[in-house]
Amino acid sequence: MLRTQNRSAIGMLAPATGLIGVFVLLPMALTVWLAFQDWSTQTGFETARFIGVDNFLAIFGPGSVGRDFKAALVNTAIYTVLSVLIIVPLSVALGLLVHQKIAPGGIVLRTVLFSTYMVPMIAVALVWSKLYSPTEGPINQMLGWIGIGAQTWLSSPKTALVSLVLLNVWQQVGYFTVLAVAGLTQIPPVLYEAARVDGASAWRQFHAITLPLLGNTLLFSAVIGVINAVQVFEPVALITQGGPVNSTNVLTYHIRRVGIERAQGGLGSAMAVTLMLALIVAITALFAVARSRENRT
Amino acid sequence: MSSNRPKIFASPQEGLLTLLIIFVAVVAAFPMAWMVLSSLKTPQESMQTPPVWFPATPNLDAYVQVADVVSLGQSFLNSAVIAVITTAAILLTSLMAGYAFAKYTFRGRDALFAVLIAAMFLPPIVTLIPLYRITGYLGLNASLFGVIVPNLANAFGIFLMRQYIKGVPDDMIDAARVDGASEMRILFKVVAPSVMPAIAALTLFAFVYHWNSYLWPLTVLQGKTEQYPIVISLSRLLSYNRGAMNTGLVMAGATLAVLPPVVLFVFLQRFFVDSIVSSGVKG
Repeated sequence: MLRTQNRSAIGMLAPATGLIGVFVLLPMALTVWLAFQDWSTQTGFETARFIGVDNFLAIFGPGSVGRDFKAALVNTAIYTVLSVLIIVPLSVALGLLVHQKIAPGGIVLRTVLFSTYMVPMIAVALVWSKLYSPTEGPINQMLGWIGIGAQTWLSSPKTALVSLVLLNVWQQVGYFTVLAVAGLTQIPPVLYEAARVDGASAWRQFHAITLPLLGNTLLFSAVIGVINAVQVFEPVALITQGGPVNSTNVLTYHIRRVGIERAQGGLGSAMAVTLMLALIVAITALFAVARSRENRT
Repeated sequence: MSSNRPKIFASPQEGLLTLLIIFVAVVAAFPMAWMVLSSLKTPQESMQTPPVWFPATPNLDAYVQVADVVSLGQSFLNSAVIAVITTAAILLTSLMAGYAFAKYTFRGRDALFAVLIAAMFLPPIVTLIPLYRITGYLGLNASLFGVIVPNLANAFGIFLMRQYIKGVPDDMIDAARVDGASEMRILFKVVAPSVMPAIAALTLFAFVYHWNSYLWPLTVLQGKTEQYPIVISLSRLLSYNRGAMNTGLVMAGATLAVLPPVVLFVFLQRFFVDSIVSSGVKG
């Protein structure tokens, strides 16, 4: 029985693991290998020449390669942290709004919020580039109605990156709201009933029951939020091209520009490896924070 | 309870929450509403400052013109080919592998599964550069095959199917084995019908992901415009977007590109939400 299971298992697994092996795991290993090579993307792998850690010295060095990469790393970090810090709390608030049973319309709201997650990022970028337009855009017009002056949005290096964060929040928050609602439905209603009997206020209930029991959901949301945020590409490629003055040059855009367009495959791979290591550190830190909170309560 | 006025809301909280829900929904829907409205404006209306919200005489001229600027039919066909083939293949490969991981015991199962899960979290940019060379070796670059072939299997799909197939009773599968059914037959006649919600959810996920996908097609197609999916053709419209004259054109193209994934979402969202609940939080 076990032997025939082994044979069937190989047949069942071969297509998926073969494809993922060749098109995900092999390139992953090659990225790590290429990070230590001098290699042009336009030539075969056999032309790669081992140069030790020179690529890493270059991307962290004082030259223009290092300056651009470090700026992109910082931009990506700011974009990621801001996105997660806005999306996760907002998704909990919106999740409560969808989940509550006092007023009708929760499911409709969920549908509206979640539908933006289905819209191609390219369409999102096109529309928001118009919404943000300083003179012809409706956002500055509406700000004017409530007495706030015109903002520069995408046209100034001070505000461009934050403008991209807001666009990202708008597109993604619906998905995270669905995650939050899923977490909320897992909390036993008896807990709230007991708290009400004890006379606990709504805020106290949220603090003592909802937040602690939502811990796993918040951790999962933060991890997915980080992974999604480092992939930002379309609005940068389409609207800002990394500008103004490199203020929106983020890693996915920069790595593609170096590794594909300039064909500096070794340098690009070293950047990709650095991105992956930074991701691992960030996600490990998130897990550590979650664990230490758990231990304290 | 002897109020003279007819009450709309049972309590002040209900009134407040209802207003809040309406406000959030309007804010969330605003960009897409603006997109559709802009596609119906005249070029003059698109250029006005302050902006015009509602076109005086809504017209579909932009939808006619956009087809002249980019080869719209060809782009839609390319997108459909990419999304339909990858979705069908992902369903098949995920069902097979998910079944093996859920119902077989074999050496190295858990280790192999862990590796696949790790692959699921890998941002595509990390593998982009060598992948571009690998598809080059395989002769797939600058063609739709290059877009499709690397995406015929998907780690998330395997994960999702495993989660659902675990819930299929072993008795059902054993009964079919006693009847002499082959494993493939069991998969399609017994297992697949029991996990239809997961199949619906994965259909939506895969179709939307590959319809919207931008980074990989842009890279692998190497500027071959006649192979471009609609999202990349749209980005070419942007050179027309610089002047506000053609805003309507761009918005018409964007509206058309948004329709297939959003329509599919409306039909299948129930399953998608359920799958997120069971794969994300419980998983």
